[in-house]
Amino acid sequence: MNSKIKKFLKPLMIPVAAVLIALVVGAIIIALTGSNPIKAYVSLLQGNGIIPKKSYANFKGQITDFMKFIDYVTPMIFAALAVCVALRCGLFNIGVSGQMLISGFTATVLVGYSNMSAVPAKILVVLISILVGALAGSMIGFLKFKFNINEVVSTIMFNYIFQYVISFLINTYYVDPVSRQSKMISTASRLTLVDMKIGGYKIDIPLGIILALLAVVFVSILLNKTKLGYELKAVGYSRNAAYYAGINVGKSMVVAMVISGALAGLAGATLYLGYVGSIQPKVLADTGYTAIAVSLLGNNNPYGIVFSSMLISIIENGGTYMKSSAGVETEIASVITGIILIFSASNAFVKHWLAQKNANRLLKQEKKEVQ
Amino acid sequence: MDSVFIDGLSFALPLFIMAIGGIYCERSGVTMLAVEGLQGFGAFFGALIAFILQRSMSGASMVPFYVAILVAAVGGAIFSLIHVALCLKFKADQVISGVVVNILAIAITGYLTKMINRVVFGATSDKFVLNVSTRFTIPVISEIPVIGAIFKNIYPFEVIIIAVAFLAWYVMYKTPFGMHLRACGDNPHAMAAVGGDVLKIQRRAIMICGALSGIGGMCFAYSISANFSTNIYVGYGYLAIAALIFGNWKIMPTFGACLLFGFARSGGYKAVAMLQMPSSYQDLVMTLPYIVTLLLLIFFSKNNHAPKSLGVVYSKESR
Repeated sequence: MNSKIKKFLKPLMIPVAAVLIALVVGAIIIALTGSNPIKAYVSLLQGNGIIPKKSYANFKGQITDFMKFIDYVTPMIFAALAVCVALRCGLFNIGVSGQMLISGFTATVLVGYSNMSAVPAKILVVLISILVGALAGSMIGFLKFKFNINEVVSTIMFNYIFQYVISFLINTYYVDPVSRQSKMISTASRLTLVDMKIGGYKIDIPLGIILALLAVVFVSILLNKTKLGYELKAVGYSRNAAYYAGINVGKSMVVAMVISGALAGLAGATLYLGYVGSIQPKVLADTGYTAIAVSLLGNNNPYGIVFSSMLISIIENGGTYMKSSAGVETEIASVITGIILIFSASNAFVKHWLAQKNANRLLKQEKKEVQ
Repeated sequence: MDSVFIDGLSFALPLFIMAIGGIYCERSGVTMLAVEGLQGFGAFFGALIAFILQRSMSGASMVPFYVAILVAAVGGAIFSLIHVALCLKFKADQVISGVVVNILAIAITGYLTKMINRVVFGATSDKFVLNVSTRFTIPVISEIPVIGAIFKNIYPFEVIIIAVAFLAWYVMYKTPFGMHLRACGDNPHAMAAVGGDVLKIQRRAIMICGALSGIGGMCFAYSISANFSTNIYVGYGYLAIAALIFGNWKIMPTFGACLLFGFARSGGYKAVAMLQMPSSYQDLVMTLPYIVTLLLLIFFSKNNHAPKSLGVVYSKESR
């Protein structure tokens, strides 16, 4: 094999193997629950429009499901990027869900309920969510650097505070009496163009995905090609070493949290003002917690995150269709997610094991040569 | 006024026992984000057994209750073996392992609750309804004004928790095992150098955490909802983690943090009820414990520091 291709493929070998093994284990579990695993996996792909279903309702087609899936992935990519940027700087942003909520809510109230026309409304939604997310993130960074408040505690506290205050505001001012959620936002402000009729199909067009892919490139360049990114990573590797190298550790941490918060804000905008269109009071989106796993599954690499987001989303989003078509309970989808994470988390062990095997082989060879 | 003490304690104590579990795990050097999942799995296991026992016993019997607490501890400890395997055997990232345990716990308990209800009991339900736990009042002391309320309407589990918490405190600070455990969290290689088995100590610490979290989850199942369903995953496990970090990874200050959460919460509810505000204001009041925590942290976290080797994967070769 060409050595260049080999070099590119080698780091992918273990994660891909981990996912494949996990899928086999998942299949065994599905079989144990009395369903057909192949049918279940096929239905996961069908539910996301990756392969066609047998039949479709009027105006619906494979493309409808696929675009819905892309719409579902978008917030996940942003949220995982948010976790990734903070983590590379050694900070654990467990508050992505809260930052998503406050940004989504602010944008909903300021723009979603206004009569603005489509173009300025959508631009404003994006800007406001970035700004609010960045502010929320900067608070965490500031408390950490100024008062030594552990970011895990402060983010959990803010998660609760945002959740309850926003629940109060929604229930008092913005509630839809029928759905018990916040009122739907205006079509003009929504980042997903809902039910567009194209070629005889009704399709949701998620505009956020373009931003998400741009964000992936941005984070990748930031981390790998800029001085700022280098400093963030240095702080992440060793705070003391970075300090002695003359890096402003406090500044780096605040900046990392600002970027992380801004990305979380975009996740909130694409979820609440894109995929859903309203906010359920007193509920934090799972996205922020799943994103931790997604980011780690993607090896904290922006491009890796695109794939891990899609993989996890296929399973989580396809769960409903898997239940209706293959009779597998939706919880099993989460179990498969968990198993994938288990196998990919054991990467280090496999690498270690392979290295040891290699070393033993070399040792034996040496012994033979001596003899 | 009494209800502030009564409800405050019945919330603070389960939180406290979970936080102690977290302290054991983190002081041994293993990051613990899985409290949420462990408490839920423990509660599921305990509730299942209590549910089965309840059917064959009279409604007033307290046997299912005590058995449930015990079984919940066992269930939590068993489920924590996933964390043990991933962190210690497979040297996985401890954060991802914690997240995995949480994801799996929610999915598995949700699925099994539905399936067991359908297959074993022939019912379509996603919860196990528990008998309401009896409460008791200690005579005489409970007559003392104000503070007496602490001894009124006590859940039996509160006594159990205080006993277990005291034991946990004693083991952590007064026994060789506790000292070895704390040494593992600060310098595992030093521990290994004096002949300690770091992985064995960490394994025990994680399992203790599982057991204590399980007890906490079971108590929440009894006190808050009197049933088990996936509604038990509302983030109290994360709150316990916040409490232990607030308490600087020490048991007594953590107790203070839990009391703060408990009393601010019950006090807030009481205030809303007394001022006859609409119930939506409860949400606003519920932010109180968290705002107070943040403010207190601003003053008290200057000297906070995590165990030195927290989250560092230990292996003998890495010396």
